[in-house]
Amino acid sequence: MYYTGIRKEDWHRSLEKLLTTYDIFVPVKDEFSLDYEPFRPGEVEKIAYNIPKPATPLKNFFLPVRENVTSARNDSKPRIIIGAPNCDIEALLLLDEIYLDEVFADPWYRSRRKSTILVASDCYAVNDHCHCLSYGVKPWSAAHADMAILADGDQLLLRIISDKGKEFAEQLSGIHSVDDTAAVSFAEQRHNETEKLLSDLNTGLPDYNTTGEIIQKAGDKIWQKYASKCVSCGACTTICPTCSCFLLIDKPDFEKVKQMDACQYPGFERVAGGEDALFELPRRFRNRYMCKYVWKPQKFNSLACTGCGRCIEACIGKINKNELFMELT
Amino acid sequence: MDSHTYNIYKPLRATLEEVIEESPLIKTFVLIPDQEFVFRTGQFIELSVDGVGEAPFTPSSSPLVTDRLEVTVMKTGFVTGIMHELKPGAVMGIRGPYGRGYPVSEFEGKEVLILGGGCGLAPIRSLLFTLEHMKDDLEKVILCYGSKTPADCIYKPLFSRLNSLDKFEAHRTVDITDDDWDGPVGVATILLDNVKVNIDNSVAVVCGPPIMMKYGTLKLLKMGYRDEQIYLSMEKNMSCGLGKCGHCMMGEFFVCKDGPVFTYDEIKHNPEIWT
Repeated sequence: MYYTGIRKEDWHRSLEKLLTTYDIFVPVKDEFSLDYEPFRPGEVEKIAYNIPKPATPLKNFFLPVRENVTSARNDSKPRIIIGAPNCDIEALLLLDEIYLDEVFADPWYRSRRKSTILVASDCYAVNDHCHCLSYGVKPWSAAHADMAILADGDQLLLRIISDKGKEFAEQLSGIHSVDDTAAVSFAEQRHNETEKLLSDLNTGLPDYNTTGEIIQKAGDKIWQKYASKCVSCGACTTICPTCSCFLLIDKPDFEKVKQMDACQYPGFERVAGGEDALFELPRRFRNRYMCKYVWKPQKFNSLACTGCGRCIEACIGKINKNELFMELT
Repeated sequence: MDSHTYNIYKPLRATLEEVIEESPLIKTFVLIPDQEFVFRTGQFIELSVDGVGEAPFTPSSSPLVTDRLEVTVMKTGFVTGIMHELKPGAVMGIRGPYGRGYPVSEFEGKEVLILGGGCGLAPIRSLLFTLEHMKDDLEKVILCYGSKTPADCIYKPLFSRLNSLDKFEAHRTVDITDDDWDGPVGVATILLDNVKVNIDNSVAVVCGPPIMMKYGTLKLLKMGYRDEQIYLSMEKNMSCGLGKCGHCMMGEFFVCKDGPVFTYDEIKHNPEIWT
């Protein structure tokens, strides 16, 4: 891992050249939100680096809402995704465990992972519900992205993380070396500031090592209370960077269409005979918490909740899972 | 995508050769797959009706036969309803095999007590073929099977054949009797009262409707079986079969990939296994 630098102007010019080879996505801020948009050379002033966080989770690039998984097709160009916060980068690890497992690797997911360059973005600020640090996730990427970006006025500092990131940097014009000590110090200062904001924001929030025990002990009353505001819209699961359940739909000629699904929808566990363990809404509601904080941690090595807080922002019933945890702590 | 990459979602085609009516609600589909199909007893497949849907079934035929496959299907829901209308010549889709089967090598040298109910006899029949093949290495095989009525009993000839085999015995009961039935009446677990089995050197296999799985297990425990001696074939909404789609999660397990056969010992910590 090392740092290098580039002027924003050169970075954008390089990206423009790379458009012939890659599909490039950047974080674009408008009056409503911040989200990934295709890179448009004429609108570089709208690109917002180091601000948390794109409205949609990174998983959408790898697990489309709906896709035909049986017909071979030419996938689009390789991609460069710029501006992913670390909560989303870390969330990919669980998806990797599920979709790239040794026995049954998903060929579509694998191909997309392979052909994507991930440029993370260190968070210089926090949103109302950001709580990555409480779950042991740093607000900056050092391991699982290819490169990370830190804006400093009209300069960009690039943290080169992987070989893929190094190869990508070699394709950029105008790259210049930077004083490593100064770069590290600049980054550390930003990191410390953001971590302080996160700690202040989430005082008393239980960490990921205790969430499972808390959820297991939670009685019916708490589920009934919080589920009373849930309308099973599934926004929490749709927006979650680690939720990855799906449905296979049959099409003529034995084609299969894979469509994202969620345990929050009625009938998710219904079997042909009609039995449905998650028929009651509070049971469905509880299932998401059990899955994220009890079952997935028992089964996988990666986090099933990286503390991005999107499920809180997206809930139309204003259900705040952190309030639920605080109430149980 | 690399076109040479194996696509986990793509079904193998199989031609329906014969449809056998087992009971008013249960039919066995004899399928000839387009290529050799190898599975271990207790593993399951996703069987699809073209353009309609697919559902999980454990083959009821012998794993020693790889050029044809028998799948016994109870008419229960949408997909199975359409399957029951299919005629020989129809082309169906098969994905799999999936999951862990029965660990039959662990049964060697032991008495195998099998408790089955309803359509749960389908996977058991496949297991029985396997056990018959390895009977020299087994002490004894006892089948206790219950059906709702005498007419609902599937594979009727199987019982007399098993009873004619050395080391095998098969018992039947029905919940509701009719004029021709002179056997035991009651749920399948009542048959366990009269079996002679050396529990210390035995394993028990349970496969049937959820209610029977629960009370069968409780009864076996009461008889003295230890948790790790009881093998359960769990039923969930197994949709992808690949340990990905999440529909069959039972606690920390994907039933499709980690199961569907579990020892009671493996899953007893989860109070939700019977729901």
